Amino acid sequence: MADPIELPFERPSDEAELIARLRVSYRALPTPSPEQIQRCAQAVLATAVPAPVRGVRRRGLRPQWWWGAAAAATLVVTVMRPWRGEETQRNAESAFAVGAAAAQPMGSTRVEGDGEIRFELTLPSTARAVAIVGDFNGWDEKKTPMAKRGGEGTWSVRVPLSPGRYTYAFVVDGREWLVDALAPQVPDAGFGPANAVIVDGGD
Amino acid sequence: MALSGATWLLLAHLTTASPVVGAMLAPSAMPTARWTASDQQALGQPPQLQQVQFDAARFDSVTANTLRGLFEDALEMGLPTKPLINRALEGSARRMTGDRIVRVVRELAAALNEARGVMGTGSTTDELVAGAEALRAGYDARTVAAVRATRTPGTAVTALVVLTDLARSGVPTDRAREAVTSIARLPRSDEALLGLQMAVARNAQRGPGMALDALNRYVRGTIPGASGLSAPATTDRKPVRPPDS
Repeated sequence: MADPIELPFERPSDEAELIARLRVSYRALPTPSPEQIQRCAQAVLATAVPAPVRGVRRRGLRPQWWWGAAAAATLVVTVMRPWRGEETQRNAESAFAVGAAAAQPMGSTRVEGDGEIRFELTLPSTARAVAIVGDFNGWDEKKTPMAKRGGEGTWSVRVPLSPGRYTYAFVVDGREWLVDALAPQVPDAGFGPANAVIVDGGD
Repeated sequence: MALSGATWLLLAHLTTASPVVGAMLAPSAMPTARWTASDQQALGQPPQLQQVQFDAARFDSVTANTLRGLFEDALEMGLPTKPLINRALEGSARRMTGDRIVRVVRELAAALNEARGVMGTGSTTDELVAGAEALRAGYDARTVAAVRATRTPGTAVTALVVLTDLARSGVPTDRAREAVTSIARLPRSDEALLGLQMAVARNAQRGPGMALDALNRYVRGTIPGASGLSAPATTDRKPVRPPDS
């Protein structure tokens, strides 16, 4: 290995002598112009104060106010899992299973005097007009409209029927077909579900 | 003028292919367009057509003519036309297409024919329809025949309707057959059968397991000495509320 190079440097005897020699050398320099002073100051400031990080901000890495909102929403979705509606509903109905049933239209049929059958249907939603259609009226929704009873959402009508078996359904507001969830139903043959009623079963 | 169903189907295809032929086959142009129940009654046809009238104006000409052919074929086979006409009117009221109405009516005619073969020629029209629906619900011919045999002719409609609805509620077919045949043998059992249907339907909304539990309870409470099946372990059983009786 070669020996280190010895530089011609005279070490000052003490710090005070070094400062004095520097002052003398600075006084020998020419006086700078104002432009030089300003340029020098700008260079110093540019080194000391970091410039705005425009590139980083463009990449969106600076904290934004909505980051917290997004994180909260992600947490809620992960914990509650709203797409598992049936699970939520099942938990809610574990004690008293009436929730699913309450949403379905329920009705009743009973024999009244003079061979008439009273059909009733209770709707969970507000309907403006309800009619009953079936084998007994040629499936014509204009022939047997039902009357609303009070403000309970129950629609009722009395239909004179001779003994036999009839298929029927309910038409709500002229467009939605419903069946009574508790009455006997017939299999869907291609048109949709329907109820069945038997008058005088001949027992 | 009586055309077979196959002839009407051929005419239907011709009408679809050519509007001119369709116009020629329009109800106003056909002598059979005013074919009504009263006409058939005057001609001495079987009485099924007297109960319901086929309103051809509710169908397009092709569908109406095709349906007429199906009705006449059913008459020739000795099948009742009343349920066929009712089914066609139902399809029209539900605003189904003509092709779909024809298909459903044809399937019903075939089901009625099958039900007659299962239950015998002595069955009434309502029994045939109820038997056809029971077969459609998934019961085999032996089950339908067994339920029909529990009652005298003309009185098995309620049993068959309840049997069909039990399948909708999720009750296994063997348990439904056992329950319905057991109750149907009792005197004046129509009310009991309808009570069974109501109890099962009310509990079926809480799951098929609850429906079966309700059926077992109802049978035990209705038939003296009936043991019924033990309550099965089901996953949909709710822990708190017992079945409604």
